[in-house]
Amino acid sequence: MDLSDIKKAIESIIFISDQPVSVDKLSLAFPNVERAQLRKCLKELVEEWEALNRGFLLSEIAGGFQFRTDPRYSEDISNYNKKVRKFRLSRAALEVTAIIAYKQPVTKVEIEAIRGVDSSGVINVLMERRVIEIKGRKEVIGKPFLYGTTSEFLEVFGLKTLNDLPTLKELDEITQNLEPSITPVPENNESTL
Amino acid sequence: MTELNKQQEQFQNPEPCLVKVQLFEGPLDLLLHLIKKNDLDIYDIPIAKITEQYIEYLEFMKVLNLQFAGEYLVIAAELSLIKSKMLLPKPVIEEEEEDPRAELVRRLIEYQVYKDAAADLVGRDVLGRDVFKREYIDNSFEQSEEVELIPVDLWSLIEAFREFYKRRSYLWAEEISYEAESMSIEDKIEQVIFRLQDRRQLRFEELFDDCSSKFDLVITFLALLELARTDNVDVVQDSPESPILITYSGEAESGSF
Repeated sequence: MDLSDIKKAIESIIFISDQPVSVDKLSLAFPNVERAQLRKCLKELVEEWEALNRGFLLSEIAGGFQFRTDPRYSEDISNYNKKVRKFRLSRAALEVTAIIAYKQPVTKVEIEAIRGVDSSGVINVLMERRVIEIKGRKEVIGKPFLYGTTSEFLEVFGLKTLNDLPTLKELDEITQNLEPSITPVPENNESTL
Repeated sequence: MTELNKQQEQFQNPEPCLVKVQLFEGPLDLLLHLIKKNDLDIYDIPIAKITEQYIEYLEFMKVLNLQFAGEYLVIAAELSLIKSKMLLPKPVIEEEEEDPRAELVRRLIEYQVYKDAAADLVGRDVLGRDVFKREYIDNSFEQSEEVELIPVDLWSLIEAFREFYKRRSYLWAEEISYEAESMSIEDKIEQVIFRLQDRRQLRFEELFDDCSSKFDLVITFLALLELARTDNVDVVQDSPESPILITYSGEAESGSF
């Protein structure tokens, strides 16, 4: 099997997958091919699909590769099939998602300290949608759950990895502008929540 | 405020009906909303003014018999405390005293940072909205004619009602005695359902077309909130600027409450 065949095989695997295909998974399917070779194929495939300027693209998402439609055709696609529009998160859910994404692993109390309002319901919704998951327990009294984002989160928001998240620039500025005692979690506020 | 109090009193007398609505945004969100609305500098908040408006909002929610979370009162108390601290004569300055507003401002800004981050997230090409991936789909061109509409959050709805109430209530500047009013929330709900079964969809303003008093406006709004809470109606709009639509999602037969 020469490299161009391998490339086409990889392409077919990605084509039939409903989840991003990672180099790790591919190397199981091609035990005799070096990972560097696999990466080279993937890189070329991404470039080729982009150059073809088709209705869909090969995108690097959540640590893997996935065919995704071009955002320009979102309306046409949902006119054809309304049920593909599955994204439904309330403003509150998005707020909690953002807090968890940037502060993970983080407890419910810490999330609520930032939002100033009970967030249990929203957390449950996000758990159901698998945008977040429990990563462990914090070693404090009560051993509360620690929440973090899932690979589904990366998929939904089109991120390669968590490092792909834009930095919270403003927060640094605030730290400088305001009093130096800026701690992530004001512990004394917990009782009021 | 006396106007509101009067209504509240009248309203609570005949038949107290509690509408419990989940507030998606908390007290900090309300404060940020007020700061933005008044075009204020977050680092130099006029505490007296903002406290007054904040409490006015809570009063308004009380008039509507909305239960608001205890967190709102905690922030109200904090605001009052800050206000009183700022009124106290400043002692001769030895060390620079911390502005009593600093902690609140820090919290507001931190919250704003995550609100912005959330806006950034949703501004991306989101899967299931802007981009789609392969999955097994066998329901193309199904009967549903639904247009993608976004749910209206409670604050926008209250804001819409506030605006509407201001515009409309002058009609009954001299309020005729409330004793004449006999309609209960339950009756109003039935009435609204009846209209919705007929029309399927109403614009927010249309809901109040046959209102004949301020009391009627408020009770109609309460009926709407109750219907939304019980999932009998969807309160939606195309975009934050477009008209608010009420669509009927309940059973074809009028449900019992």
